[in-house]
Amino acid sequence: MTASTDLERRYRRLLALYPRAFRREHEQEMLSVLLAGAAEGQRRPRLAEAVDLLANAILMRVLVLTLIKPSAWEYRHARVMVPVRVMIGIWLIVLTAIFYGSGRGGWWGLLLLPAAGLHFYFAYRIRHAVPS
Amino acid sequence: MQEATFLILTALAGGSQHGYGIITDVKQISNGRVGLRAGTLYTALDRLRREKLIDADREEIVENRLRRYYRLTPAGAERLGEEAARLRSNAGVALSRLDAGGRVATT
Repeated sequence: MTASTDLERRYRRLLALYPRAFRREHEQEMLSVLLAGAAEGQRRPRLAEAVDLLANAILMRVLVLTLIKPSAWEYRHARVMVPVRVMIGIWLIVLTAIFYGSGRGGWWGLLLLPAAGLHFYFAYRIRHAVPS
Repeated sequence: MQEATFLILTALAGGSQHGYGIITDVKQISNGRVGLRAGTLYTALDRLRREKLIDADREEIVENRLRRYYRLTPAGAERLGEEAARLRSNAGVALSRLDAGGRVATT
């Protein structure tokens, strides 16, 4: 296998860490930039370059997470959905407390409490009609 | 505004450029001090485009590789102008005070 296809394959593997929407938009041009910056006969991404891609891929994934929001349907049915979201949130906290009481708390809390937080966050947004 | 952002907008103020062109131009503008990496550059371009300070201009295929050019929008030019004026004002105060204190010759 030639150096350039070797290098390209490794760059593609790093770019695969990005969220799908970002890749659809930028993967091809990023590959062009990365290969344009490569030295003659280079087979592997430089370490600093790989770290930069990894860090920014994580950053973009976190950013995508913050874009999670209630649907238009939920906004229209706020009167029902706010209490439903709040009840689910409370139930998840109660569940965590039950697990905790039975000595299996730690890991379940790690999973359930953020989920409860998300339900409360959604309830807050619908309640106050925070536009997206 | 972060320096990398400022330099990217400055690179585009001279006309539309593709990704690799921006990297080499930013290096030149900063006297070789700022070397943007691909990941950082595209995180910035993606954000600047969402903020409508830049926009995609045209695309070319060169040796089977996609090149997308970016250009400054009127809003981007305005932001860059404001930022440049702010930096000049700050720099002016700094230099004149140092000068008055006799600690550095500014001319």
